[in-house]
Amino acid sequence: MIRALAAVALLALASPAHALVLRDMLGREVTLAGPPTRIVSLVPSVTESAFALGGEARIVGVSDFCDWPPAARAKPRVGGMVNPSLETLVALKPDLVVGTDEGNREETFVQLQRLGIPVYIVHAHRISEMYDLIARVGALTGRRDAVGPLVAGIQRRIDAVRAAVKARPAPRVLYVLWPDPLLVPGRDSHLTEMIELAGGRSITAGEPVSYVRFSIEAAVARAPEVIVLADHSTGASTAGRAAPEKWQALTSVPAIRAGRLYSVDLSVLHRYGPRVPEGLELLARMIHPEAFK
Amino acid sequence: MDPAHAEPAALTPLVQFRDVAFAYARPARGRERTFAFPGLSFTVERGEIFGVIGPNSAGKTSLLRLLTRVLRPQRGEIRLAGRPVGDLAPWALAREVAMVPQEAPRPFPFTVEQLVLMGRYPHAPGRFFEDAADITAARAAMAATETLALAPLPLEQLSGGERQRALLARALAQEPRLLVLDEPTAHLDLRYQAETAALLRGLNRERGMTILLVSHDLNLAAELCDRLLLLSAGEVARVGAAVDVLEQGLLESVFGCHVTVDKSPSGRPVVQLAYERG
Amino acid sequence: MTDARRLARALAALSLVLLAVGVTALFVGSAELSPSAVARALAGRAEASSVEAIVTLSLRLPRVAAAVLAGAALAVAGVGFQALTRNPLAEPSVLGVSSGAAFGVVLAQILGLSSGIVAALGAAVFAFAGALLAATIVYLVATAPGGLAVQTLLLTGVIVGIFFSAAITVIISVVDFNRLTGVIHWLLGNLGPIPAASLALFAVLAGAGVWLILKSARELNLLALGEEASRQLGVDAERLKRRVFVAAALLTGTVVAFTGPIGFVGLIVPHVLRRLVGQDNRFLVPTAALAGGAFLLAADTLARNVVAPAELSVGVITAFCGAPFFVWILRTRSRPL
Repeated sequence: MIRALAAVALLALASPAHALVLRDMLGREVTLAGPPTRIVSLVPSVTESAFALGGEARIVGVSDFCDWPPAARAKPRVGGMVNPSLETLVALKPDLVVGTDEGNREETFVQLQRLGIPVYIVHAHRISEMYDLIARVGALTGRRDAVGPLVAGIQRRIDAVRAAVKARPAPRVLYVLWPDPLLVPGRDSHLTEMIELAGGRSITAGEPVSYVRFSIEAAVARAPEVIVLADHSTGASTAGRAAPEKWQALTSVPAIRAGRLYSVDLSVLHRYGPRVPEGLELLARMIHPEAFK
Repeated sequence: MDPAHAEPAALTPLVQFRDVAFAYARPARGRERTFAFPGLSFTVERGEIFGVIGPNSAGKTSLLRLLTRVLRPQRGEIRLAGRPVGDLAPWALAREVAMVPQEAPRPFPFTVEQLVLMGRYPHAPGRFFEDAADITAARAAMAATETLALAPLPLEQLSGGERQRALLARALAQEPRLLVLDEPTAHLDLRYQAETAALLRGLNRERGMTILLVSHDLNLAAELCDRLLLLSAGEVARVGAAVDVLEQGLLESVFGCHVTVDKSPSGRPVVQLAYERG
Repeated sequence: MTDARRLARALAALSLVLLAVGVTALFVGSAELSPSAVARALAGRAEASSVEAIVTLSLRLPRVAAAVLAGAALAVAGVGFQALTRNPLAEPSVLGVSSGAAFGVVLAQILGLSSGIVAALGAAVFAFAGALLAATIVYLVATAPGGLAVQTLLLTGVIVGIFFSAAITVIISVVDFNRLTGVIHWLLGNLGPIPAASLALFAVLAGAGVWLILKSARELNLLALGEEASRQLGVDAERLKRRVFVAAALLTGTVVAFTGPIGFVGLIVPHVLRRLVGQDNRFLVPTAALAGGAFLLAADTLARNVVAPAELSVGVITAFCGAPFFVWILRTRSRPL
């Protein structure tokens, strides 16, 4: 929290009217002519943050996956995260493109820089980094004042969840990112942190990568008490829909016996943005239903 | 024997071509016009060695293909022992007519014995493995061609002459009435040419095997064959004994070059190309 | 010794190998069950909802069955396809069919299907549709007026395969990041436990394909003489080519539908077997079924244990085996291709 405010302060000091030199979240120097007024966001959580801060006026283009809030869908789209249309992007005449190293391609950034468009890269692996991200978005969109209250609000809700689940025994949780083949979050995944904050213990937290292809039988042997299935289906498409019936056969698993199999909307949980408390509350309700009566 | 087609066995020619007309749908590469048989008629008598000779584009190989039903004539009839060839199922035809190709296919990863056993397929197409009778027949065929010793060797390891004999053994394993050979000595050394000729003559004399061979080697054909058919642009230029067919004027007009015809020690004609002395 | 007896002996030996691999696969896994626990589960004496029963009977056993079926299907398809094209480097995936099937499944994963059991079978249906599409295109292009031209078949198969792979790449590029990993992992081969109904269907289809190629084995030998020569021996070459092509496509499509695309099995297994039992397809087809099953099962057991509890996809193991093997074939072939 302190770090976030410090970042905001630093950004406030380091902004003369001409030649703005910023440092993005990868430590890269990004040079702008002045404060950005035409920003293209290739990152859903950045878009969400911008809207939550009231800075959407400066966002002139978003990726196809920036679907929250609903108003964001009205913004001009530049394509997918993996391969945005450079032409469409350039036609929007942005003075800054915000991307992430977790979802956008290096190639895209290189192309943009060749075209003389500055690229600002963000990422968030931890909730603490998320506050940093929100602060930076606030600085970029000229909504520094809104950062404090937004962050405070988020913090409050997260603290409330933590308080509610504190001192309760943490059940073993299996989070299924993708069922077939089984993909689960490992140590470096933000989902692991979320599960922990929600008062659970991810049974795959020991895997030393972000996402790992996991053995079903190992998952069964670890006897999770709660299973959360990520639901990839969007409104139109049911692909990747969580299919609880597939799991019913595994009757040795406590979660199945107790009927504690839940599905959760992927987009709420997988973006480190202003909706994190929502996702966290959802998760906590699944893991500790008794704490939220 | 089907009464409708029964004819006195001794009198029926083994092979009859009656007015066979055939044309390829498209000209072969390098040719200007499509090749055609306008209407081909000839017979092959039982127990004879019959040779088909002529220039390259005359249609010798197409004739063989028509006989073995790889090609179908557009008009006319081809009969085998009095029965139309079209009436026979492919495997039934294969029991009567066995074809010895010019050379072995490449790659060919099988042994000589496996190759010869393939010739037994027409006798029991539905069977999975060959039975004892098949193996006996295959061994007999190999004995006749002196290839028994080569049985376990991969075909590709044999010399040209040995390969030829193995292919012949496979054809014999079919136990055919008619043996058809396409250029039997085309790729062989002189010695193997003599060997092959002796083998064929032996099969004909001792087993009464009817043999039809296509060759561009006029002198081999003259020595070996009882009768010759000189084919020119799909038509019969002449058919008869060697001495009648290999006549200087006729050869020069069909082949388009100067030749001289002498007599060999055996009394058969010997054709010599008269090279231009420049 | 007669051929039939020699074959019986080879099959008996391979059955033992398969059994050994199968038993190992059942007893080894990342759930760390004791051998006695597994034995109890197999004997039916473990409680139905115990960990050992669930893991052994609902997870390991179906997976073992799937691996054996897939391995057998791919190996036999390889034998058939190599005999058909008279090219020992022909591999079922070169038919273009596995790319078509994979495309079907990826499309299904992205578009979505209705829920429940249909979802599991639905992906398979898309796979078959994709396989059928690819096979039809290849067949039509390779069929000249004279019949199916096997050399054109190979080339067409490669091209169609490339086309569908490109199509898959297009789909991948528009799918969002979270789904991307799932799809990509599936494309590396996904041998997992399959529900019993699907497994039964898998077995029936694979069995049909293997049967078709086995029936054609003797005639495939004759095809080595050349098409014309085999026709002169009484073989219906057109019917044979069609039958083997359809069977190989069926086998390949079935495997992709149920276990994702797995490469190299159809190349490695027939080649090793040729050095052991010879060139006769009547020996190669049945032994390939057993050897292919054992091979893929061994590869899968390795894949799911070597970085336990994480897993490698089986396609990774077969590719790592396959690539050096391919080089070895090229180097040790005594005659030019």
